Amino acid sequence: MIQMKKYSYISLVVVLLLGMTSCMEDLPTKYDYTGYQFSNLDANAGQWKLILHTSNEQISIPNPAAAGSAELLKELADAKEKQSKATSAQREAVAYWTNNPLLRWNEIALELATKYNLIPAPNADGTYPVPDPANPSKYPKFPYSHPPYTSRMLAYLSVAQYDGLIMAWHYKYKFKRQAPYQLDTQIKSAYETNGLYSYPSDGAVVAIASRDVLTAMFPLEKEYLAQKAQEHLESLLVAGIHVASDLEAGQLIGAGVAKTTLSRASTDGMKNAQAPKAISDSIKNAAKVRFGWVWENQETPQRMVGLVPLFGKVRLWNVPHVEAIRPGPPPAPGSPAFQEAAAELRAYADKLTTTQRRIANFWNDGLNTYTPPGHWNRFAKEEAVVSKLSPVRTARVFAYLNMAIMDAGVGCWDAKYYYHYPRPIQTIPGFKTILGTPNFPAYTSGHASFSGAAAEVMAHFFPGNASQFRKWAEEASMSRIYGGIHYSFDASAGLTQGKQAASFAIAKAKLDNAE
Amino acid sequence: MTYRLRFLSLLFASLGILTISRAQTPLDGLMMPKGEICVALMYEQGTWDRYWEGSTIRVNQNIGTFTRQMGMPMIVGGITDKVNVILSLPYVKTSASAGQLTGAQGIQDLGLSVKAIVLEKTFGKGKLTGFTNLSLSTPASNYLSDYMPFSLGFGANELGIRGIGLYELDKGPYFRASYSYLHRGITEAERDFYYANGAYYTSKMDVPNAFLSQVTLGSWMFNKKLRVEASLTTVRSTSGDDIRVYSMPQPTNKVDVDRIEGFAQFYFGSNRSFGIIASYHHLFSGRNMGQFSGYGLGLTYQFKAIN
Repeated sequence: MIQMKKYSYISLVVVLLLGMTSCMEDLPTKYDYTGYQFSNLDANAGQWKLILHTSNEQISIPNPAAAGSAELLKELADAKEKQSKATSAQREAVAYWTNNPLLRWNEIALELATKYNLIPAPNADGTYPVPDPANPSKYPKFPYSHPPYTSRMLAYLSVAQYDGLIMAWHYKYKFKRQAPYQLDTQIKSAYETNGLYSYPSDGAVVAIASRDVLTAMFPLEKEYLAQKAQEHLESLLVAGIHVASDLEAGQLIGAGVAKTTLSRASTDGMKNAQAPKAISDSIKNAAKVRFGWVWENQETPQRMVGLVPLFGKVRLWNVPHVEAIRPGPPPAPGSPAFQEAAAELRAYADKLTTTQRRIANFWNDGLNTYTPPGHWNRFAKEEAVVSKLSPVRTARVFAYLNMAIMDAGVGCWDAKYYYHYPRPIQTIPGFKTILGTPNFPAYTSGHASFSGAAAEVMAHFFPGNASQFRKWAEEASMSRIYGGIHYSFDASAGLTQGKQAASFAIAKAKLDNAE
Repeated sequence: MTYRLRFLSLLFASLGILTISRAQTPLDGLMMPKGEICVALMYEQGTWDRYWEGSTIRVNQNIGTFTRQMGMPMIVGGITDKVNVILSLPYVKTSASAGQLTGAQGIQDLGLSVKAIVLEKTFGKGKLTGFTNLSLSTPASNYLSDYMPFSLGFGANELGIRGIGLYELDKGPYFRASYSYLHRGITEAERDFYYANGAYYTSKMDVPNAFLSQVTLGSWMFNKKLRVEASLTTVRSTSGDDIRVYSMPQPTNKVDVDRIEGFAQFYFGSNRSFGIIASYHHLFSGRNMGQFSGYGLGLTYQFKAIN
């Protein structure tokens, strides 16, 4: 009898514990935000300076049907029907996309960057395969979305979105067509009614520009992106903020800006960045002759070519030429300054505090993640929502942020292969790390350079949080020292380089009529 | 006196999934009487030089041979003749023979387990016994679970519930089967973004739950001074993602294991109060797991604490 009681007791405990653990919350797979009231409609954004286009009517759209016209009434009736017959999946899509959907497209871009951020595994013979853009599905899949690739992908995405939205704003205030929920009281806006003119649809501009740029960057995701864009376009009707002709005009602009943007991308030098071994060797030899040291990959089997040795030659956005942000040389291996930096690394490796380990891992952003550029895009997304930015002002933040990040990356890669400086695991005998050492030279630190640039741009756009952003950049730079994969001089030079890259972007932003 | 022997085999059974992640899982069909306490010190070492990335086997020369060592003190006490309590606290050390990544070491998880007899029946020339077991374990240090394969464990609470059946012939041979459900909680990473068949914007990682089943054939020999056993253990996670191509494992992975194990135990000393244990194990198939092979050694001492 006593045994029976005990057993019942145990069973009760089990039931309780299982009950407790099974109602655990779902883990977030996206940023949790909803449509919101824009702090400012940015009525003059049509006059802001375009990045890649010369005129805000460079992509033309038809004149919209007038209010009260049979054509528009038909469109309103269709939209009304669409809204009244919306399925629960369509209503979920409306809630997901929100009235600032650029943030969702940026999030999709980060997810794809993560998905494709896998380093090629060695072949059986000890060589390494390289992704082939002409045959993207063959292993290793194209692209390998490493930090330089991701920085560039985000720059083109954001620039296309920004130019497209400037044009959309121009036409909105030119035609001044009211939104469906204003023209027909039976149509309800799913979001806060901002009173933004509806023709052309800014959401449609973003949907198509993003779809097309991302499809070029991630060709294997063509169908997934098309399906996302379709869902997004449909949500704009269901949400009661657009009619069909708004979408059509927006799609024209989106497709047009994507085309211009991708045309620049196709000739920016990226396709040569992953240089063949002969060129890689000549770059290495040049450094050896010039400085007397050389970085070598330490993996087994050894990777004979580093990551994108010619990314430093890719076309810049705002920095006039890459030498403008190239730092002076690092201390020679064996020199007192070097010994001091190496001793610091050994000291951290011997006794890393929990806080230092946490910083190293928090900022690692290595393989199979969205990389440091992605990390800063995430911060920008959250800031845009907190500051309730309009779509066009959000696009401006991302465009300047990602241009600066990419410029910093190009400058950083230039320095990496110009100086060809060895990593700590190469120079410090028996050195072990808690982070994987990347396949490119040490000087300057990519994390420091990307983060230095990102923090300055963010500080410019969100001055209230400037000190927070700069603190994060410092922390991101330090994280690589804690992790044992960078010397302190890599980090400090990288931070400076990033800040310099940002200063060119910020100078341009100050003159674009938006401030 | 058979309780002593039975208790020791309980220790053995706990080796069954040591190299998977957990320190102890009392799967055995044996009990200690009221007032008896046994203290044990276990050591286990497992190595692999290949691992399953999903279900594809991979050799990584930047790891070379991976080694995992574990030392585990353990205490078992008989609360009543039919209810036992087991406490364990392993210390784990991991390292790789190649590459630049540093290993890890430290205290892993505190395990607490309660086991009870729920059925006893004489059947032909033997006896059928049914047991149930409830176990809880929780990380006992701030080790980082998101540092695989070097992490000491998966860094989450685990609640296990088991059913165990034992049929033992009076002459010595026995057959045992058990089935366990292991409910795992959330582990905390030091990054707040990761990819597990999609993006996750959180530092929380859901460690997959698992079913564990084990069948064992064994026998007593030499007047119950020696016992030998052979076991087959399978672990099947109920969810989780695969290790991505040439990428690091993480606690969200779907870990499956098929493993064989053999062991022997020998008793000595006055009143046979001491025991030594030796075991060998080998993973013959798996998923998102190193192909471990290894051995275990143990020393036990049992005494009557309360009359």
